[in-house]
Amino acid sequence: MAEAETDARRLATEARDRVRFEEEVLDLADQVYRVARRLVSSREEAEDLVQETYARAFRSWRSYTPGTNLRAWLMRILTNLNIDRGRREQRAPDMQPMVEGDYFLYNRLEETSGPADEERIVERLSQDSIVDALASVPHDFRDVIVLVDIGDFSYQEAAQILDVPIGTVMSRLHRGRRILKGELAGTAAAEEES
Amino acid sequence: MTHFDSICEKCEELIQPYLDRELSESERLEAEAHLEGCGYCSKRYRFEVSLRRYVRHACCSEEMSPELKAKLASLRTPLD
Repeated sequence: MAEAETDARRLATEARDRVRFEEEVLDLADQVYRVARRLVSSREEAEDLVQETYARAFRSWRSYTPGTNLRAWLMRILTNLNIDRGRREQRAPDMQPMVEGDYFLYNRLEETSGPADEERIVERLSQDSIVDALASVPHDFRDVIVLVDIGDFSYQEAAQILDVPIGTVMSRLHRGRRILKGELAGTAAAEEES
Repeated sequence: MTHFDSICEKCEELIQPYLDRELSESERLEAEAHLEGCGYCSKRYRFEVSLRRYVRHACCSEEMSPELKAKLASLRTPLD
């Protein structure tokens, strides 16, 4: 009798923990979606990926250690699923020598539409061109940009999520942002010509 | 000539982790002291901050649909 009672109590505790876990995970849905939307190219793919992530998270809730970073735990499921989906390997473009440094984009924006305040000059780029430029950054580089700049993860968290050393996160981030700026500089020039 | 055409080595080394708030306290102070004294880097810093904010704004404007949100909630384990 006492044993049955203990069992019942244990089950009740477990159900309570699970419900709490599920609520916390659902509270993060908007943030998860924002990251997913930029990791893949279409809205449909992002929705599928988020659904798969949630299905897996709910199934494997016991593998989450309470008190640890739930957002990073979820994101790790998401990035693993995304890689499992067999995304196409992309080759990183060869980098141009650093003749103009990271200011290539700034200089291009000035050339195409005149001098401006350095805080306002980015507004010359359309929002669509930013989204397109990010989508054209090769996956490995885009993943870290999305995690750090859109997901607000630290270098350390991004390293854990992607299972790469922190130095790799830093170099991919640096290079990825440079590729992004290169793409945007190309867009700025194209918009000027059209 | 208003172009940023000189390359500051210090800037390459510190500005990205500074923007990402990934520097230690002493490195942060070093970066701030440098930014204060270097016109090229401080201008570049303002540009990078605004670019990042702009990218973030452009890429986070699409909200998740209420249908998806409902779908996610329905994936929860049903209560016995």
